[in-house]
Amino acid sequence: MLYTFQMICVLPSFDAIMRAVYRPIIKRKGLTAPLFNCRVSAGFPSPADDYIEQSLDLNQLLIQQPAATFFVRAEGDSMIGAGIHDNDLLVVDRSIEAVPNKVVICALDGELTVKRLVSKQGCMVLMAENPRYPDIPMHEDIDMMIWGVVTAVIHPL
Amino acid sequence: MTTQRFALVDCNNFYVSCERLFRPDLQNKPVIILSNNDGCVVARSAEVKALGIKMAVPVHQIRHLIEQYNIQLFSSNYTLYADLSARVMSLLRPYAPHQEIYSIDEAFLDLTGVCDHDPEAYALHIKTAIGRQSGIPVCVGLGPSKTLAKLANYAAKRWKKTAGVVDLSNPERRKKLMQIVPVNDVWGIGSKLSKRLKQCGVTTVWELACLDESIAQSQFSVVVARTIMELNGVACLPLQSSAPNKQQIICSRSFKQRLLHIDELGQALTQYTVRAMEKLRAQNSLTGMLSISIRTGMFDHQQQQYQRTISLSLHQHTQDTQLVIKTVKQLLAQIFKAGYAYQHAGITLGQIRPANESVQTEMFCEPIGYGQAKDPATQRALMASVDLINKRFPQKISFSTSLFKQAWHYTLKNQSPRYTTHWNDLKKVSCK
Repeated sequence: MLYTFQMICVLPSFDAIMRAVYRPIIKRKGLTAPLFNCRVSAGFPSPADDYIEQSLDLNQLLIQQPAATFFVRAEGDSMIGAGIHDNDLLVVDRSIEAVPNKVVICALDGELTVKRLVSKQGCMVLMAENPRYPDIPMHEDIDMMIWGVVTAVIHPL
Repeated sequence: MTTQRFALVDCNNFYVSCERLFRPDLQNKPVIILSNNDGCVVARSAEVKALGIKMAVPVHQIRHLIEQYNIQLFSSNYTLYADLSARVMSLLRPYAPHQEIYSIDEAFLDLTGVCDHDPEAYALHIKTAIGRQSGIPVCVGLGPSKTLAKLANYAAKRWKKTAGVVDLSNPERRKKLMQIVPVNDVWGIGSKLSKRLKQCGVTTVWELACLDESIAQSQFSVVVARTIMELNGVACLPLQSSAPNKQQIICSRSFKQRLLHIDELGQALTQYTVRAMEKLRAQNSLTGMLSISIRTGMFDHQQQQYQRTISLSLHQHTQDTQLVIKTVKQLLAQIFKAGYAYQHAGITLGQIRPANESVQTEMFCEPIGYGQAKDPATQRALMASVDLINKRFPQKISFSTSLFKQAWHYTLKNQSPRYTTHWNDLKKVSCK
């Protein structure tokens, strides 16, 4: 069936993984906040300097596989129950397996659509998170492809 | 010594696949990507190839087919293609110790000793994983040389039965394939060479592979001899780890409307110069020669045709945009003729060499073309700052005449959004 993805069992070297994972595909433009920051006026070294660890970077938190991650914008209220509002930004990772209960982007009749993938009585169903929208059971003659798995919602307040 | 194993991973109809990734409605529909200025066909979907539409055809010659088959047209969106290409290349990296990015949509991998137990299964893994994670479908060709990997990929693309993966390590299998592939489809054998080979009775790849390489070297060239060895499973071409710096940088475009005045052409050339010099500095090089060309429309049969190219060797190598712009304007004044409707202009930078190479400067020259003498170190620092600022704030700093509103500028009326690189262009997904 279309929605099952095969897991890839390859063991690349650690170095290769690091290079793949930390390749700066997502351009970082100084949006980091240092944990400690202090000015030294008269040559006396700050006692806190030795404790500077790293800067917090949201990319690190939200993106596991930069090369397979895409940002898209939600349109509509059918996923409101999952916390996805109209105009929210979604982080989509194509390297994650689409298993039941994941929120997925699927190409449904030629349109990219957000749904939750659920298993109901042994049958896979694309479910909206809003009672006003009907379930879409997945069967052979439906034009459907999983595009990616939604891993985070960015919602401005 | 273990035999070597190379893979060539090649994206399927790359530009079309990039457009389709964000437009699933275009799956199985005919799609064409047009060149700059929407002039010619630069990429075709399988459906379009099946209609017999060739590469590089001017779009006005196929208008009837476009309407008849409802072919979807896109202007090339290189921002999108470059980003998706970088993703594919990055995803490929963990699969092999060495990778050569051969073009925007192809990479060689050195799989020697990596997957000896079942190379075909490994290649299938790569194909599936890249297709799934990047969204760009690829084919994988395997062989003991780069030429054979390329040939394997050709077969993987051409025959559906292969499921997108072909391994040519088996000599018997190799022979079967080579006997049905025309010689001009081999990597490195161009159309001129294949004509000469055909005159000598070599029409298939197999016939080429059976030639004696020393005779081939004396009759044709060392390239042909090397290709023969590669076809016989002897790897002669190693992976190139990083793309060599460009020896020539070209920036040229067609205009949306014809230009009549020297000032307009000057503006266009200024802009291309700015871009070409940015590329030059990005690879940390200097240019020692520049040439500019202008021409009228090739398909304007009613109009008078005019075409001219002019080159100038610079006294001293440079990477300074201001100086080169000045020289370009002087050159333009020498070749421009009023009364023609110009459609195309371009600049080529030649004699490129690394900026850090020390050189003997000329003692008695006015440095650099027609330019003014300036302290090169200051100029270099200035240019570096301009590049840095423009990288963060696109086109914030412009060079004099490139600033004016460009009515003549080519339009990209069918360009898709820059889905992956601009916040305002993000793909909308339906929650309806």
